[in-house]
Amino acid sequence: MRIFLVEDTRDVGEAIVERFVRGGHAVDWETDGQEASRILESTSFDLIILDIMLPGRNGFSILQDLRGNGSETPVLVLTARSEVEDRIGALDLGADDYLIKPFDFRELEARARALMRRRHGDATNLIACGDVVIDRSGRSVRVGEREVHLKRRELTLLEILASRPGRVFGKEELLDHLFGFDEAPNVNAVELYVGRLRKKLEGARAQIVTVRGFGYQMLPHGQA
Amino acid sequence: MPKREPSIFARLIVLVSTALTTGLVALGAAAWYYALEAANQAYDRLLVGAAYQIAEAVTVQDGALTVEPPASAFELLALSARDRIFYRVTDTHGETLTGDDGLDRDGAAAAGAGPTVRDATFKGVPVRLARLVRIVSDPAVGGRVEITVAQTTESRAVLARELTLRATILLAVMSVLALGGTVFAIRYALQPIGRLAAALAERDPNDVSPLTIETPRELKPFVSAINVFISRLKARMDLMQQFIADAAHQIRTPLTALNAQIELLSHRVDDPQGQHHLSRMQVRTAQLSRFVNQLLSHAMVRHRAGVIPPGRVDVVATVRRALHEAMPETLGRDVLTTLELPSEPVEIAGDAVNLKEAVKNIIDNALRHGAPSRLALRLRECGDVVEIEVEDDGPGIPKQTWPEVVRRFGSPSPTGSGLGFAIAAAVAAAHGGDLGFRERDTAGFAVVMRLARHPEEIR
Repeated sequence: MRIFLVEDTRDVGEAIVERFVRGGHAVDWETDGQEASRILESTSFDLIILDIMLPGRNGFSILQDLRGNGSETPVLVLTARSEVEDRIGALDLGADDYLIKPFDFRELEARARALMRRRHGDATNLIACGDVVIDRSGRSVRVGEREVHLKRRELTLLEILASRPGRVFGKEELLDHLFGFDEAPNVNAVELYVGRLRKKLEGARAQIVTVRGFGYQMLPHGQA
Repeated sequence: MPKREPSIFARLIVLVSTALTTGLVALGAAAWYYALEAANQAYDRLLVGAAYQIAEAVTVQDGALTVEPPASAFELLALSARDRIFYRVTDTHGETLTGDDGLDRDGAAAAGAGPTVRDATFKGVPVRLARLVRIVSDPAVGGRVEITVAQTTESRAVLARELTLRATILLAVMSVLALGGTVFAIRYALQPIGRLAAALAERDPNDVSPLTIETPRELKPFVSAINVFISRLKARMDLMQQFIADAAHQIRTPLTALNAQIELLSHRVDDPQGQHHLSRMQVRTAQLSRFVNQLLSHAMVRHRAGVIPPGRVDVVATVRRALHEAMPETLGRDVLTTLELPSEPVEIAGDAVNLKEAVKNIIDNALRHGAPSRLALRLRECGDVVEIEVEDDGPGIPKQTWPEVVRRFGSPSPTGSGLGFAIAAAVAAAHGGDLGFRERDTAGFAVVMRLARHPEEIR
C-alpha cells in the first residue's frame, strides 16, 4: 500500500517511515505543508498520515482542501495540539481517525491498517445476518437490542462472514484478510478471533459455524 | 454568615417615614396646643362677658348688697349644652352673696380690677374659671365684690379635638403624599442601578468585553472597576490559553521524537542487557507521555469550562467517539465491550470536546485499573439528568477513597497520574452534574457521570 506521511519532525518521521516500510508499505514523506498540498493534487495514496502543525500550511487546511476536492482517501491525523480553543474536532473536518502525540507506534500501525482495510471493503453500509446488524459507517454492531463494540480485526472478520451468510471461508483466506504478510501469524490466530467473536455474539439469532477441516460460515438461526 | 444589608430603597423609605412620622407627631401636638388656645379664647370671652353681666346686676338696696344674675348672663354660656355653669358672688367681706358657695374658695385674691381667667377644679371636675372684681362705692357698703363664673371644659375640649383632628388629617394627607412622592423619587433615582444589574445579569459569563452601559456619575467608579477586572480576567484567560497551547505543542513534539527514537533503537539492539534498559526507557516515556497528556487535558477542560459557551451536544455520539478514541486497538486482553445507548440522539447544552475528554478518561481508567474481561457503557435519561455509566468487572474502588479519587492527584497510582477522575469530575461539574460511583455488586463496579440536560440555554 502507498502511504503519504506529512510530518515535519524528522525524528518522528524517520520512525514512522521505518515502521511502515518494515510492514511492506511504500511511504512518501513530506515535511512542508505547502509542498504536501501540491503533491496531493496530482498523486493518490491509500492512506495519508497528516500532522497538524506544519511549516508552510497547516494540516487542517490541507485536509479541508482534500475533502473539498472530493477525495475519499483515509486520513489519520497526528496532533500535538491541545483542543483548548477548538470548536470542532479533527474528525468533524473529515479525518477518519486521529492520534494525540506522543502515541504508541503499535497503536498507530494498528489504526492505519484498519483504515486501509476499510478502504478496500465493499461500500454497503448495513450488513445484517439474523439479528446481527453491522453499521459500517457508524462502526457499530448490534446483536438484537444490544450494541457490542468490536475491535477492528474482529469487525473485519464479522463483516467478511456476515456479508455472505452460508458461504464457507477457509482459514487461510480469512488469515489473508485479517493480517498483513509481515505479521506472520498462523491459523491459530483465526481460531482465536473466531472464539472472541462467538463470545461477543452470544445470544444472537445467528452463529458462526465451524466446517470441520475447511473453515467457517455464518448462519442465521434455524438454518444451521 | 454575613449580616444581611437592607436595600437602599428600604433604608430611604425607613428614614423618610421616620422623619415624616416625627413631623406628624410634633405638628399634631402643636395643632392640639393652638386649637386649645383658640377654643379657650372663644369660650373665655363668653365667660368674662357673663361675669360682667353679673357684675352689672350687683346693686345696693336699702344699704345692703343684692345681686339678681340676669338670665341673659347665662344664655350664651348655655349654648354649649353639655357644659355645666357655676357662679359665685362675694360681698365686701368675702362672704358668699349668691351662687355656689364652694366655688373658688381657695382662689387667691385678684390683683387688679381686670378680669382673670384660669383653669381650676370644682367638684372634682376640671373647669375654666373667670373672676372679676367690682369696687362698690356706696356709702353704706363699700369695698370689693368678687364675681366668679365657671364652666366645665367639655365643649372646649370637643372644639379643640375637632380642630386638632382636622389639622392632623391635613398633615397626614400631606405626609402620605410626601411618602408616595418619595417612593417614586427613589425608584426613579435607583433605576440606573437596576439597569446596571440587569446588564450584568444578562451578560454571557464567557463575555470578556468591557461593559459599555451609560450610567450616572455616581455609578461610574463601579463600572470602571468591573471593567478593570474584566480586562484582567481576559488577560489571564488569554495567557492560560496561550500557555496550554504552547505547552502542548512544545512538550509533546520532543516527547514524540524521543518515543520515535526509542522505537527505532528497539529494532537495532540485540544485546539482552541493552533490550532490558530500552524497555525500561519505553515504560518511563510512556508514563511521562501519559502524565503530560493528562496534565494538559486537565488544564484544557478547566479552561474550556470557563470560556467555551455551551452548545448543542449529542451525548450518544460523544460516548461512541470517546470509546473509539480511548479503546486501544493494541489492548492485549480481550474485553467484551457492550454499549447500551438510546437509538435517538440525546442532546444537552454543553461542550462536546470536554465531554468526550471526560468519558475517555473514565474508560481509560476502567481499562487500566479494572475491566479484566468486560466493559459496559450505558446512557440513561432520568428527567432533566443524563447519566453516563461505565461499568467493568474489575475490583472497583473502595468506598472510603471515593472522595479522594475525584480530587487532583487525590490517589496517584504507579501507572496513572491521579488526574483521570479529576478531569471527569471537573467536566461533570461544568455541566451542572457530578461524578459518582456505584458500589461493586454482582454486575461489577460502575462510574456514573451525571449531567444536567440544560444547565443554561444553548447559545
